[in-house]
This record gives sequence, C-alpha cells and structure tokens, in this order.
Amino acid sequence: MTESLIETRDLVKRYGDKVAVNSVSFDVYSGEVFGFLGPNGAGKTTTLKMIVGLLQPTSGTVNVAGYDVQTQPRLAKASCGYVPDTPNLYAKLTGRELLRFVGDLYDLDRAQAVRRMDELLRMFELANAADDTVDSYSHGMQQKASLAAALMHDPRVLVLDEPTVGLDPKSARLIKDILRQLADRGAAVMLSTHILEIAERMCDRIGIINKGQLIAVGTMDELRMLDKTGQTSLEDIFLGLTGGAEETAIADVLK
Amino acid sequence: MNSIHSSSLRAADAGVLPSVWKLLRLRLRITYNSFRHAKLRKKIGMIFLWLLLLGFAYLLLAASRWLLGLVHSPEFAQYAGLDLRGILASIPTLTLTALFVGTLLTSFGVLLQALYLSGDMDFLLATPVPIRAVFITKLLQAVLPNFALFSLFGIPLLFGLGLSSAYHVIYYPLAILLMIFLALAASGISALLVMLVVRVLPPRRAAEILGFVGAMFAFACSQAGNLANSFSGDIDFSGTRIAGLLVLANTRWLPLNWAGQGLVALGESRWLSGSLLAGATLGFTAFVFWFALVTAQRLYYSGWAGMQVVTRKKSRPSFRKAVTNKTSLGLLRLLPKPVLAIVQKDFLTLRRDLRSLSQLISPIIFGAIYTLLLLRGGNEPPPGRGEAPDWFINSFQVALTYSSVGMSLFVGWMLLSRLAGMGFSHEGRNYWLLKVSPVGVVHLLASKFLVAYLPTLALGFIFLTVISLVQGLSLLEFAYSFIAIVMCLAGMAGMLLAFGVAGANFTWEDPRKMNSGITGCFGQILTVIYLPISFGLFVAPLGLAQFLEFPLAYGYLAGLILGSAFAAGFAIVPLWLVRKRVERLGAE
Repeated sequence: MTESLIETRDLVKRYGDKVAVNSVSFDVYSGEVFGFLGPNGAGKTTTLKMIVGLLQPTSGTVNVAGYDVQTQPRLAKASCGYVPDTPNLYAKLTGRELLRFVGDLYDLDRAQAVRRMDELLRMFELANAADDTVDSYSHGMQQKASLAAALMHDPRVLVLDEPTVGLDPKSARLIKDILRQLADRGAAVMLSTHILEIAERMCDRIGIINKGQLIAVGTMDELRMLDKTGQTSLEDIFLGLTGGAEETAIADVLK
Repeated sequence: MNSIHSSSLRAADAGVLPSVWKLLRLRLRITYNSFRHAKLRKKIGMIFLWLLLLGFAYLLLAASRWLLGLVHSPEFAQYAGLDLRGILASIPTLTLTALFVGTLLTSFGVLLQALYLSGDMDFLLATPVPIRAVFITKLLQAVLPNFALFSLFGIPLLFGLGLSSAYHVIYYPLAILLMIFLALAASGISALLVMLVVRVLPPRRAAEILGFVGAMFAFACSQAGNLANSFSGDIDFSGTRIAGLLVLANTRWLPLNWAGQGLVALGESRWLSGSLLAGATLGFTAFVFWFALVTAQRLYYSGWAGMQVVTRKKSRPSFRKAVTNKTSLGLLRLLPKPVLAIVQKDFLTLRRDLRSLSQLISPIIFGAIYTLLLLRGGNEPPPGRGEAPDWFINSFQVALTYSSVGMSLFVGWMLLSRLAGMGFSHEGRNYWLLKVSPVGVVHLLASKFLVAYLPTLALGFIFLTVISLVQGLSLLEFAYSFIAIVMCLAGMAGMLLAFGVAGANFTWEDPRKMNSGITGCFGQILTVIYLPISFGLFVAPLGLAQFLEFPLAYGYLAGLILGSAFAAGFAIVPLWLVRKRVERLGAE
C-alpha cells in the first residue's frame, strides 16, 4: 500500500457567511500525480493554500507527509514545495540569489545547495539569466524560477497552482516531465489546472471541486463510470459534473 | 449579433474629440466610483479638504489683492526705498514659468505610469478609438490634477495682481488660457522625454529612479531651510538684490517670458505688444503640443520607445561572490542559516530597490546636515555662569554633553521607523515564500530585528564617533554613550518591529506606499515617548550623582542598570506579545 502524503479531512474554509471550501476530504499518495479541477471560484486555490499552510482552515485537518499542518507546521512545510498561480518572487534578487536564499531557508548544506541550484538553473534553461534580477524575467521565466525554488529542497510533496499558465509548449512539456519523474521517484504531486488535456494525460487521479465541495475523486476510468451519460472525455465528464446548463444561455447570447 | 457588430463598426468612424470625451468620462467615472465606495470618514475628509482648499484660494486672492495694492502705492515705494514696478510686472512671468516647469517635471512621472505602467494602453489601442484620442486623454490625465493644484495658487495670485493693478478685463480669461496652453505644451514635452527615457531604461526602472530622485529632492528641499539659516551670513539676501534678480530674469529674450509680459501688456492696454507676445505664446505652445502629440504617438505605435538600446549587464561578479559564499560575514556567520539568509536577502533587496533606498538615505542626509550644523555651531554652554551653584553647572554640562548624543538616537529612530516598522511589510506579495518555508517565528523575528537593528547601530556608531570628536568626549563618555545607544536602539527596534507585525501590509505595489497605517503611526508616537525616557534613564543618574555630590561611578552604574533593563524590556516584551500574530501573518 502506498503512503498517503497529503491527507485532508473535513476541510472547511469560511469567509464570513461565504463557504469557500466545504468539508473536503481526500488523499494524495506517494508516487501519484493528483489533478485538482474545478470552475473559477470553486475553491481550488483555497484548498491548496490550506495544504501548504498559507491559509488556516476554519475546521478540519490537513496532514502533509504525515505531519499535521496546524500543529507541526515546520515539519510539514519542510517536506513540501509550493508553486503559486502568480509567481511573486523577490524582484530585486537574481535567479541564483533567489535559489540560494530558498536553499538557506530549508537549511540545505551549502555545497549541496550550490550543486542543486546549478542543476535546476540548467534544467529550466535559466543558467544564462541566473545573474539577472528576477524583475527582468519574462512571465514564463518567473514561473520556471518559482518551480525551481519549489524543487530546491527535493520535496516529498509538491503542490502546484496552475503551473503551466504562461509557459511556452517546450517549458510546459518540461514541467510535465519533471512532475512525472518526481512522482515516479515516490513524491506526491498535486496540481490544479484548467487545461483538462493536461489533467487527462498527466494525472493518475483527479479530484473535481465545485462550489467548495469535492464532487468526484478517482482515476479517469472511475470518473467515466460516475457519469451516467457514458461520456468519455474528461471535458465532457467535467462539464457534466459541474453543470452544462449554461449551453442554452450561450446559444441565446450568440443568436 | 449583426446589429451589435454594425454598432462597433460605427464606433470606428467616431471623431477624435468625441472619443477623447468618452475616455475622459471613463476617468471621471473611475474617480467618482472611488469616491462613492470610500468610507464615510474618508468622504467627509475629502469634502472638508476641498472646502478648505477653496477657502484657501479665496484667502489667497484677497491677500494678494490687498498686498499687491499696498505694494503699488507710492507711499510704500517711498517708505521701502525700492521701485517695485519691475517686481510686480515679473509676477505673471514667474507664475507662468513655474506652471510650465512644474507641469514638465510632475507630469513626467504621471505619463510614465499612464503610458507604460498602467497596463490599459494595450486594451485602449485594441479598441476602435482613434490612437490620437488615447494620447490626448493620457496627456490630459497627466496635466489635470497638477493643473488644478497649481491653479489653486496661481489664479488667485494672477487675479489679485490684475485687481490691484486695475488691469483690463481681457487680462483674466487670457491668464487662464495661457495657463492651459503652457501646461499642455509642458505635458507634450514631458511625453517625449518619457519616450526617450524608456528607450534607454525599462519603465519600471525609470519609475524607481524617478521615485528616488523625487524623494531625495523633496528631503533636500525640506532640510534646505536649516542649511540656509546656518549659511545665511555668507549670502546676500537683501531686498534690493532679490528685486534686481527678478527684473533681470524677466528678459524678453526668453520665450517662456513672453506669456507673462504679453499678459501684463494687455492688462495695461498696450494692445500691439501684448497681442504679439500673447499670440506668439499661444501659437508656439499649440505647435509644441501638436508636435509632441504626433511624435509621441508615432514613437509609441512604432514600438521605437519600447525597444531599449542599452542591454543588461550579463555578469555580475559581486553577486556570484555573494552567492558562492566567499564574502566575509564576520560574526553573522554564527547565526542560524535561515536567519542569515533573510538578513542577506533583505539587505540586497533594500539596496537594489531605489525607492526603498531613498527612504533609508533620508536619515543619513539628516544626520549629515546636523553634523555639519554641529561642526559650524559647536556646542558650547552659554557664556557667564552668573550665580549658578556648582551642582547646577555640572548637571547642565552632563545634559549638554549627552543631548548631542541623543541626536544620533533621533537619526536612528528615523531609520528604524522604516526598517523595523515596515520589516514585515517589506516582504510584500513575496511573503508566501517565507510562509511556506519551515522558518520558525523566533527565527523570523530575529532576522527582521537584525535587518533593522544592525544598520541603525552602525549609523548611530558613526554619528556618535563624529560627535565625540567634535565635542571632545572622553573615552569613558564615548563608551557609556555607545552602550546607551546600543540598548536604546534595541528597545526601539523591538517596539517598532512589533507594531510593524501588528499592522503588516503585504499588498503594496510601490515600496513608498507600504506604510502600515494607524498601527505604524501609533508605534512611531510611542517610540517618540520611549526614546527620551530610555535615554533619560541612562543620563539622569549622572546628573543626580552630580547633584548629590556622589562619585560619578555610582551614576554610571545606576544608569547602566536602569537604562539597560528598561531598553531590554522593550526589545523583548513587545516581540513576545506579537509572536502568535506572526504565525497568522499572510494567512489572509
């Protein structure tokens, strides 16, 4: 049995009267890539932020690599890497300085950190820009720098929020390959995405969240079985589960 | 759908002026919405401010009318012994020149923001609105707020002059018309300057440099009075000299002076010369505005201005050196790795962001100015001891010696307000990186404390050394003062950092706007109270020992114990109180 590296139980996040995440429970196991799908405002980013310790849940628990994010935050965080949807990085640090800084935050050995940094810069084709400040990077380069920073400490759990947005096809492919390799080496990878083709091809299991509630979790085959209409593509399953009633309204607008 | 499409095609035929009006309506709507959605307190404050400004403009009009009328009178000329007609005639020239130069300088930053950093240019240029309309709107947007502010001072002054001099009625509308034309021409030139600068520097970097220069200029102006007072003996500020300079500046050879001179000439019913000068100004400024508009539009649309000609420096050996850990960190090396990493990172980012740097340099300039004043003025006790007893003279001498040392604490306060008060806010939107890392609260607080404390201590030490040399402090006095500074600054850093945690703001875009609001102000007020008490606890026992005629060593010992205990308490307790808050920071 593979180990559960992300474990959420009855996770709830409320903002006043608004329930952003409502009793969400799922596991992400070692060696798998878990896709987290949902329409805009469904609660994906909120859930991810609670997993990495950026947001405090209203109730429920999150365990990362066996550590409770609420009670053992530092141990949980030491095992986890996070790539946010917007790569807000220190604009006035160079790429190299940024990675070195992250290495120090995770208390990496100096020589090991320098070696790792060079590997990541090369892998993400940032070596030539490594001594330029981050504010001179394009969005794609910043996204790659953000991913490199998340991988500096070789995390057991990697959480990514829309990791391929703004990337060219080559970089997107590189990221997909890296995530697959990480999972194959035993890490748990959880990513949210709007690109269903990525989710269908990359993810071992998929969770679909809608209006704060997890409405489906499973492999592609399991999701197909959930859909009564016998739809085969993830797009159809997704639209079927999250509501396709808008189609009529769209036709009215386009008339 | 077809009817919608036809409407959009009709929009493509819209003229420039209707499109400008459409875009200006958008700006007005945005302004109105921000007022409408503001808190009631803010709304009342804004209305009150406007009423205050209008009242101020009316007062200025009345005052200038009365004062200029007084100056016009032959009795005044006889009494003052000066012929002031030349000065009065130069008022419109000075006012309009100030408007032109002021608009040129202030609209630069606004246009840089509006054309390159606001992010709406692509959206506007993709719509079927004439490109020229977009540019006219942007220029107007840059001019209008500053023009309104300037009119508040300029119009009452010009109208006051007109009323006191009984100028012809044409003077008044022409004054406003000339102001508008000059402001538009200035904004046009400013737009071209923006294009030239952006050709060399990336817009964000240009904005940073502009922010730095602006802040330094404002600070230098604010401190100029102190220096001017100090050096006033060396410069001739007499009325005759100033009057002579003003008349000399109002030469007809400068095109900028034509507007003012034409205005005065028309006011005095000298129709031919007045019409020629005013007409030349109107024509020339209209041409400048049109030329600048067309050129700026062409440069922007062709992409010329966006292509920087200076390439980035590719290798920065010093960065590499820092990263490969070859630099000397001294005792800092003993710190835990995450603490050291945050300290190093903060020092690098503070140094490299010019807008942050300007806030840090201000206290240093302040310190330098006061050191200079101290060097010029010395710090001697007032001459003549009269009948004062020995204990009073001795205690007074102690107070005098240490009051200058207190100045280094004040300079430290200025620096700490920025470094400690905004230590956490400085992280901005990047705080997530610290938040998701396994750095504990104690390490986080320690690193932010050190980032604020170490440079302030270094500055305090330098300032103290200079003061000691100027005042000839003994080694004992120097050492004691240094301990007092070490402790007082630590207490102040702890307090300000704690308030910075309580009012942390991570949503700013411009470092100059990261102010943590009321909480930050409250922290600064409390430290202003803390500072004299804390320093007083070090110094007062010395005076008391003199008064009681005890050996001074007792005073030093008591001061050390009392002052250190008090300051250490303030360095630790506030941070201990906010430790839980640090855990929640950034959790939205």
